[in-house]
Amino acid sequence: MEIKYEYILCRYGELVLKGKNRRDFINALLRNTKAALADFKDLSYEARHDGLYIHLNGEDFFKIKPLLEKVFGFVHFSGAIACDLDIEKIAKTALYLAQNAKAKTFKVVAKRQDKRFSLNSDAINRQVAGVILRNTDLKVDVHDPDLKLYITILSDRAYIMDEKIPGAQGFPVGINGRALCFLSGGIDSPISAYLTMKKGLRVEFIHFASMPYTSKQALDKVKELAKILSVYEEEAILHIVPFTDLQLAIYEHADESYAITIMRRMMYRIGDRLAKKRHITLITNGESVGQVASQTIESLSVISSVASSLVIRPLAMMDKSEIMVLARKIGTYDTSILPYDDCCTIFEPKNPVTKPKLDKCEYYESKFDYETLIEDCLNKIETIKITNKEKDDDIF
Amino acid sequence: MPEIYFDSASTTPLDKEVYKTYIDLLQRYFYNADSLYDKGVEVYRLLEKARSNIAKLLDVKSDEIIFTSGASEANSLAIKGLCMQKKKGHIVSSIMEHASVYNALRQMEKVFGINVTYLKPDKDGLITKEMVESAIRPDTFLVSLMAVNNEAGTIYDIKGISALIKKKTGILFHSDMTQALGKIEVDLKDVDMASFSAHKIHGLKGSGFFYRKKHIELEPLISGGQQEFGLRGGTENAITNIVLAKTLRKALEEREKRYEIVKELKEYCETKLKEIRGVKINKSANDIAYILNISTSLKSEVALNALNAKGIMVSTRSTCGSRENEPSRVLVALGIDDSEAIRLSFDYFNTKEEIDYFIETLKGILEKYGN
Repeated sequence: MEIKYEYILCRYGELVLKGKNRRDFINALLRNTKAALADFKDLSYEARHDGLYIHLNGEDFFKIKPLLEKVFGFVHFSGAIACDLDIEKIAKTALYLAQNAKAKTFKVVAKRQDKRFSLNSDAINRQVAGVILRNTDLKVDVHDPDLKLYITILSDRAYIMDEKIPGAQGFPVGINGRALCFLSGGIDSPISAYLTMKKGLRVEFIHFASMPYTSKQALDKVKELAKILSVYEEEAILHIVPFTDLQLAIYEHADESYAITIMRRMMYRIGDRLAKKRHITLITNGESVGQVASQTIESLSVISSVASSLVIRPLAMMDKSEIMVLARKIGTYDTSILPYDDCCTIFEPKNPVTKPKLDKCEYYESKFDYETLIEDCLNKIETIKITNKEKDDDIF
Repeated sequence: MPEIYFDSASTTPLDKEVYKTYIDLLQRYFYNADSLYDKGVEVYRLLEKARSNIAKLLDVKSDEIIFTSGASEANSLAIKGLCMQKKKGHIVSSIMEHASVYNALRQMEKVFGINVTYLKPDKDGLITKEMVESAIRPDTFLVSLMAVNNEAGTIYDIKGISALIKKKTGILFHSDMTQALGKIEVDLKDVDMASFSAHKIHGLKGSGFFYRKKHIELEPLISGGQQEFGLRGGTENAITNIVLAKTLRKALEEREKRYEIVKELKEYCETKLKEIRGVKINKSANDIAYILNISTSLKSEVALNALNAKGIMVSTRSTCGSRENEPSRVLVALGIDDSEAIRLSFDYFNTKEEIDYFIETLKGILEKYGN
């Protein structure tokens, strides 16, 4: 039988925070949690110093769990049942959880937040374990139990929990500012966005589209990725840059081997200007050292020198395999590998330069009026909002 | 006159929400799901989302779900699609299978000379893993057994048989799970292929799906374009397939609740039937609550007609064989005199009052026409 929880106890991460920062942290986390669980109208919230207490009021814990797992800022959370500060009632509640668990061995872990409770933690553990031993076939194992029953004693009541579910960790989205994240449609850029959001930044996405060389499916794929990522920040903002004219000009004026390098420089220029326009301090993207010709340190150096914004590359020192593990974990992988050409693959040069020279880049760029083309791109940006709420939910 | 429907194993009324969505989509999306302009792509997206939702509901991968016109087609695809690949060898199945499995097997015997062993149920009405084990030969490449029998309501031990087959190499396990879906728990980890129908779970007729593990090579029955991974040509019946996702979701969400309702109805009906002389309840060792097979002292046809005249709809046997004159091989195998058998199949919308009315009517009929 499925356990009927009454509460969810969510524990804050990054406990090093003190003072005002801590208050901001808790306030942002409360706001983000409420937004993530907005569909569950009966929930009520109590942000305490030791954690966020969500009163379920009849809502289904198991439906909420997958959403809560995606809220940055919690180290772990648990479904909980509350009872009066009475050792018999505490033991009875713990017994209910033990009877409904698929476990052979158990351990009771009591903790008193309020030390006025007549029994100390050890005594609580022994009394509760005694009741479970007498009424079930479970055995005690203090080292590696199948089931850990956590009992938290507060001043007015006790909470009993049977599991600590890992939270998403990190900082609540929004407390550390905003970032502009390049989103290509590949495996890497969604992960860079994910890691950026995990550090408490609200992310806006910028995508370079080369219609009609790239298809609508390619753009839909990017939107889908933004949608998957939007669960971490309620709503994602996606800026779609019509990049075709600029790209064609690059191929007309630059040597083919430099085309990607120049193209990346143009992307950074556009990103840089868009970031300033939107008062965004940080640019992030999925570049990883050595992964392709445009991501050698020589390339990266020549490319990002055009941007004055702060550029952080969360994946810079990660292996592709590590990135893929994360992509599978957060569910972007299957979408990322859909086979639609993006603006980088469609004009892919045969022999891209791996150690581009700055003066050569500048020489090719001097051959055409890229400033006008960049302004044109910026003026024609289409900005859309993407949420994880389905517009076609009623169909399914 | 009342209208009492005790024939849900044959087909079910359309779910109201499914109906609403279907009508709405029919008007909005006539486009071809394979067209590359926006409208076509939108239909394709919804179609693939439906596929992915169905896969998630059954805990399998999206590309393992193939939309079909129903369970009969899915059964044909499993059996004929595989036999066209193998061209020789041996299949283990049972005499209890639905016509769409049984006749496909007969056809494969005729066309390719495939050997088929048709297992017969034991005295409890069951097909056991021991029977399957002793029927397996070195050249056996397929075992095809239904999950729930459509005439008698017997639930077979798919999990046990699956465990046995998993130990053997080179044998695939197909199960016609039409009568199990939305009624009892279905675990696709037990099988390599499975067949399902929409209209048995309050969905549309002409709609169903086929599950097959990704690595299994099959020949398509309908040659054509790229649709359904090349396994089924022809323009997608997109809207029908899209609403199948909702049909399935609702059926699975309501499964346990509905089973309780139906179980209570069946038990109530059985208790009442025991009070009537000349009525025999045909049971096996493990029956589904949805189906109740009984024999009366009347010819089935006479009972059916007399009940029909009083507004009660039942079947005499599998509806797919209702116009045949041959006796039902399924009931014969169970030692039931099929000329006197009636199949009642219940659903969550039936009531005890309906059963009371049925019992009174049946008593009257037996008094009037019985010996």
